[in-house]
Amino acid sequence: MNRCLAAESVAFAYEPGAPVLRDVAATVRGGAVAGIVGPNGSGKSTLLRLLCGLLEPGSGRVTLDGRPLASFRPRERARSLAFLPQGVQPVFLLSAFEVVCLGRYPHVGALAGPSSHDLEVARRCMRDTATDDIRHRSFMELSGGERQRVLLASILAQEPELLLLDEPTAALDIHHETEVFTLLARLAGDGYGVGVVTHDLNLAARFCDTMVLLSREHAVAACGAPEAVLREETLSAAYGARIRVGAHPFTGTPLVYAEPPEGAP
Amino acid sequence: MTRRVSAGHAVLAATALCVIVIAASLSIGPEPLGPLHLLRQWRAGESIEDAAYILFSLRLPRTLAAFLAGAGLALVGCAFQALLRNPLATPYTLGLAGAGSFGAYTALVLIDFGRLPYSVIGVPMVQAFAFLFAAADVLLIFLVASRRARPTPAVLLLTGVTLGIIANSGIMLTRYFARPERLIDMDRWLMGGVDIVGYRPVAVLAIGVVPACLWLLTQAGKLDQFGFSEEMAAGRGVNITRLQLTVLLLGSFITGVIVSEVGPIGFVGLVVPHTVRAFTGAGHRLLMPVSLLSGGAFLCLCDLAARKVPVAGEIPIGIITTLIGGPFFLYLLVRGRFADWET
Repeated sequence: MNRCLAAESVAFAYEPGAPVLRDVAATVRGGAVAGIVGPNGSGKSTLLRLLCGLLEPGSGRVTLDGRPLASFRPRERARSLAFLPQGVQPVFLLSAFEVVCLGRYPHVGALAGPSSHDLEVARRCMRDTATDDIRHRSFMELSGGERQRVLLASILAQEPELLLLDEPTAALDIHHETEVFTLLARLAGDGYGVGVVTHDLNLAARFCDTMVLLSREHAVAACGAPEAVLREETLSAAYGARIRVGAHPFTGTPLVYAEPPEGAP
Repeated sequence: MTRRVSAGHAVLAATALCVIVIAASLSIGPEPLGPLHLLRQWRAGESIEDAAYILFSLRLPRTLAAFLAGAGLALVGCAFQALLRNPLATPYTLGLAGAGSFGAYTALVLIDFGRLPYSVIGVPMVQAFAFLFAAADVLLIFLVASRRARPTPAVLLLTGVTLGIIANSGIMLTRYFARPERLIDMDRWLMGGVDIVGYRPVAVLAIGVVPACLWLLTQAGKLDQFGFSEEMAAGRGVNITRLQLTVLLLGSFITGVIVSEVGPIGFVGLVVPHTVRAFTGAGHRLLMPVSLLSGGAFLCLCDLAARKVPVAGEIPIGIITTLIGGPFFLYLLVRGRFADWET
């Protein structure tokens, strides 16, 4: 399985005259982690939603293996690519296992409940994300890291080949962020294609195979290998700030540091 | 986690409850007769004409009406709580009870002043007005929602609540114009009642409620997704706009039909889903059918209480449902049995 999800010169605006993305290209391939990074408001989340097919580009196109994403039926699309948004707030109390079972939706008929096969897939996905032993616990009682792993299990239960995640480490401590990214890298090693929006450039540098850097001007500032994207001039221009890049003392990957604004104490 | 009962047990228990309550509802009344009594009389060769009339023309239609109304209200309650992502949502949250009552009041005043016939080609105008006003309420909600890029649950909720408040002012206005001696009839309508005679109201309820309820039940899996996360639901292939439209229209239609036939009976759509959820969990594939059955049984039971409470005549059923439902709901709140809501 080597799937390829590609956005080709896409533009998007929620309101006319206020573009959120201009002429942006991005690719998510099977077997690799693609990071989408950039300053707040640069359009990262919008790009991810275009790649998911939840939004339609104003111009340009999004294709999955060369076929326009818009031509997929929604459930068919959901069997190929899964989306994990930010800040999931369920209104009902569900066990972790029930949350993972929800992921079977694209495979289950409208009237039928999940079959024993569906339950088995859910259990397997929980074992893969080390959440099997917390499957009876209430989802909202879980810690942030556990919750994120359960959500990952629930999108894996869709049996997709491409995973698209919006800031999956947003509220996690340093240990759990690394844990989530390690899991993503391992999934890519298993052949999944991973597209991940993140603010943490150092984690991205460590775990992403390719990166797309969006600028404050809603365009692609740079793309390619982390070493090619994470350069001082490029980052400083994209973020409109003074950004320094060194080498990580332990891993040798780029280490990014934002200087305080000039004149600050 | 809360204790959960298995799907089979939940459906079985709800069905048994229905059978017992319906049998009781047919057997209990001012005249001591029931299906068994009737059978005994018939075998003894006695005349059963009077007994059969009471049973088949009075008690059976009344029982069926109560069951259909309760089932519909409870099911719509489940669906609206998920659709509006709010544990306090009821079939009436979107202003349907207020609008329907406003319609009924308007018709009652117009009839009283001779501006409206009591019925047109056999359709009672009070019911017709109640339904039309409820439909207008839904239409207004759609007009407001469609002005927005995406109708969020909060927008739907606020629109419905606002329209309900406006409708209540409309009710006050019609009361102001009404002749004082008519106010008793009008307010009696607001208390709800299944004291019907004959099968016309039952037929209207059956045609209006049953197909729409079956259709609503097919949305269970999508409501599970929507209640968990709107965006994940969309990512998994749920057409959110279509789901909102379908549930809103079906729920409003069911509620509109029920309100127009039996008045705004409160609390069924709130108490039943929450109680059932404590046993079945929040999965709508089980929650919805069990709520449907339990809601029917609950309203039959309330009707039975309304008939049997020893006061002059009988108490309006809307008062009974609220008197039973209100304290019970408070008990659930105090005991923390909202376990299945992230509140």
